[in-house]
Amino acid sequence: MTLKRMTFLQHLLAFLGLEGRLHLEWISSAEAQKFVATVTGFTETIRRLGPSPLRTASLARSENVLTAPMRRSGCPGLSQTVVPEDGTKIVNG
Amino acid sequence: MDLKFVPSICSYCGTGCGVLFEVLDGELVGTLPMKTHPVNQGKLCIKGWNLHEHINSPLRLKHPLLKTFGRFTKVDWGKAVDVTAHRLKEVIAAHGPDSVGVLVSAKMTNEENYLAQKFARAVIGTNNVDHCARL
Amino acid sequence: MTPIQQQVKNWLEEKRVDIFLAYRILDGHPLPHAFTREHIEETAELVTGPARYSLEKFATHIASRYPAARIGMVARDCNQRALNVLRVWNQLKDGQVETVPVTCCPSHLHHHADCSYLEPHPAGAVKQQLGQAPNQSLAEVEAQPAAERLDRWLYEFQKCIKCYGCRNICPVCFCKECSLEHAELIGTGHLPPDIPIFHLVRAVHMAGRCVDCGLCEDACPAEIPLRLLYRKVNAIVKDLFDYETGSGDTLPPFSILGDKPTMSPMPLLAAAQE
Ligand code: SF4
Ligand code: SF4
Ligand code: SF4
Repeated sequence: MTLKRMTFLQHLLAFLGLEGRLHLEWISSAEAQKFVATVTGFTETIRRLGPSPLRTASLARSENVLTAPMRRSGCPGLSQTVVPEDGTKIVNG
Repeated sequence: MDLKFVPSICSYCGTGCGVLFEVLDGELVGTLPMKTHPVNQGKLCIKGWNLHEHINSPLRLKHPLLKTFGRFTKVDWGKAVDVTAHRLKEVIAAHGPDSVGVLVSAKMTNEENYLAQKFARAVIGTNNVDHCARL
Repeated sequence: MTPIQQQVKNWLEEKRVDIFLAYRILDGHPLPHAFTREHIEETAELVTGPARYSLEKFATHIASRYPAARIGMVARDCNQRALNVLRVWNQLKDGQVETVPVTCCPSHLHHHADCSYLEPHPAGAVKQQLGQAPNQSLAEVEAQPAAERLDRWLYEFQKCIKCYGCRNICPVCFCKECSLEHAELIGTGHLPPDIPIFHLVRAVHMAGRCVDCGLCEDACPAEIPLRLLYRKVNAIVKDLFDYETGSGDTLPPFSILGDKPTMSPMPLLAAAQE
């Protein structure tokens, strides 16, 4: 079941553009070598991928999420920040 | 088994989205957006989606309540009106009409809201009237 | 009387069904209506469209209060698929709902037929630049570079006003307790809601359930291409487990354990991806 759900989620996250940040591996308590290899390998992968774009985007409440796609597309009229710069929570829209 | 669908208008704000109430055996069990309504075109906000909830809510006020010494007691309408009129007069005499504000609600009819502002302006003598749907 | 009106009238008179769900025009709006033996004359006003509500959801409401009720309804393709799912998930009993199949408008989205009323509009200029156009194919979305794809999805998600419309309208969302309302999973008191968690949680819960009816996308005031996202969910479920949601009587892959594992965990992301 775990395997099914994790594989499903890995595919779904990849569709959103977050590939490779989720990993599942079966390691028995006797397999110290495998544990080391997996953790080192995954740490390496994550390091290569860099910080999570979601974290820098701070879940859309910072300006990044709004302005990053605008910068990418060079959309001049839309370059204003819509969300307060201090990242305050917007209550009641 | 009696299922009815009753079209209506959301009363929570001035947008006026078309809603459809699902009524099962005379009990309002659900609210849906009206797909063909020109205003909302099949969409609602969270307030509209939950329109049916306050109708059967146990928290709903059904009687006037009078607060004396920090406790609410049930009173009849005559008493409630008397006390309110008396206290309003006292407050206005002591602090002037602008010390009173009137808050009205989207859950009342237009006419009731009109009467409320008339009451505020003509009877009490203040322009302090506001409405929850003044978006 | 049209043949369908006659058929519904017969079904009610023969007591084949106790209640029949279809539409009728009221104040110029095509609205759902429950036809009964007591008001049999109303069958002359029965229409099958063009608006589409999730009649099967009303059927589950009737069934939960009257478990013995025999319910009839007009069913398009999507209604039929949703009925299958609701049966698999024990929301309706076998044979409790009888359908009169009706066709929907042809559409290029599906090789059979679909509702053109729900066919996504082409995206406007801003959405094309910043967001995910709802009328794309999955391959088109996947062709975008990963970073851009994420940007585009986040742009869509941050428009969410957390109206819960996508959940409320969904014919196969019936849980008594909804994960989307758990404060531990999804924080409360701010807008947009926690993204992309809010939308991912719902997407994950739609695995083996979503019948691609498009009602959620249609009900979303923020025009988030939800159907596109759930279509990917369905595609993954089909690819990984060869399960076609809404097509049959078998339980979805996440509800059964299976005899033996048939998959192996995905390898670490290869260095070649850089
Ligand atoms: S409160 Fe929401 S649903 Fe009701 S009219 Fe206003 S926008 Fe529409
Ligand atoms: S398309 Fe949307 S409304 Fe329809 S079944 Fe899937 S999630 Fe539910
Ligand atoms: S319908 Fe759209 S705006 Fe409403 S909660 Fe769902 S995704 Fe958010």
